[in-house]
Amino acid sequence: MTDLNESELKVFVDAVKNYFSHLTSDAVLIRAAYLSNTLISHHDYTGLITISGRFRGCVYFSAPARLLRALLHALREPDTSEDNLLDAVGEIANTIAGNARKHFGTSLTISIPVTIRGVPEQIKSAARARSFAIVLNWSGYDATVIVDLAPVDSFTS
Amino acid sequence: MRILIVDDSNIIRARIARIALHPQLRKLNIVGLARNGVEAIEICRRITPDLVTMDLTMPEMDGISCIKKLIDHDSMINILVVSALNDKTTAIHALKAGARGFLHKPFSDEQLVSALIEVMN
Repeated sequence: MTDLNESELKVFVDAVKNYFSHLTSDAVLIRAAYLSNTLISHHDYTGLITISGRFRGCVYFSAPARLLRALLHALREPDTSEDNLLDAVGEIANTIAGNARKHFGTSLTISIPVTIRGVPEQIKSAARARSFAIVLNWSGYDATVIVDLAPVDSFTS
Repeated sequence: MRILIVDDSNIIRARIARIALHPQLRKLNIVGLARNGVEAIEICRRITPDLVTMDLTMPEMDGISCIKKLIDHDSMINILVVSALNDKTTAIHALKAGARGFLHKPFSDEQLVSALIEVMN
């Protein structure tokens, strides 16, 4: 089985663009997409989806509190408590990973989201030597999607 | 019509509840909010909803398992799946389990209103 190719990575870029354009009037700008080093810095809140099936690894969405508050405001959600900021970051990660199934099908099994509060100094890439990082800007705030996936057979070969 | 909203996200439950107040959905009366399939079944033992919005990826009990149990309990219940899982196979599994409709996340207010009206009819 081959590694993730360009069109497969674009699936995640399209998913995050679709999320914000569908729910808000502000489009997402993709500022950069690159292979990151093994250590990845994150924002205030991170939502993490564990992937199993044909691929193994994680998809993360990490954002500052200000972006999440602005998103909740755009969704007419008055409660911008920390619980809801965590909920939002998990739901975004879940939607990005779930939408990727349109391309990958049921071979991409996704977990319920795990959410992390605070700025973890660094999260080490687990599945790949270098993860794919997508840096986006929405409504003036930067956020990051990390795609840390590798085909299952790359673990056994 | 009595509606039960099932989703593990606080934000999504609250958003669906707000959209359910839309003038075109004035027949709807929200009778419960559940965070997973187990809570949904518990609520349905006490109150029989006419309509359920159902997430699929949830802790405790996933949406497909919950749909099967709800249909076993009441084959007339109308279930609209609202999920980020947008592959065809998942939609087919949900419909075979007894769901009447499938709406992908992310969804607009208008899309949810239309989907609820379609399932109610």
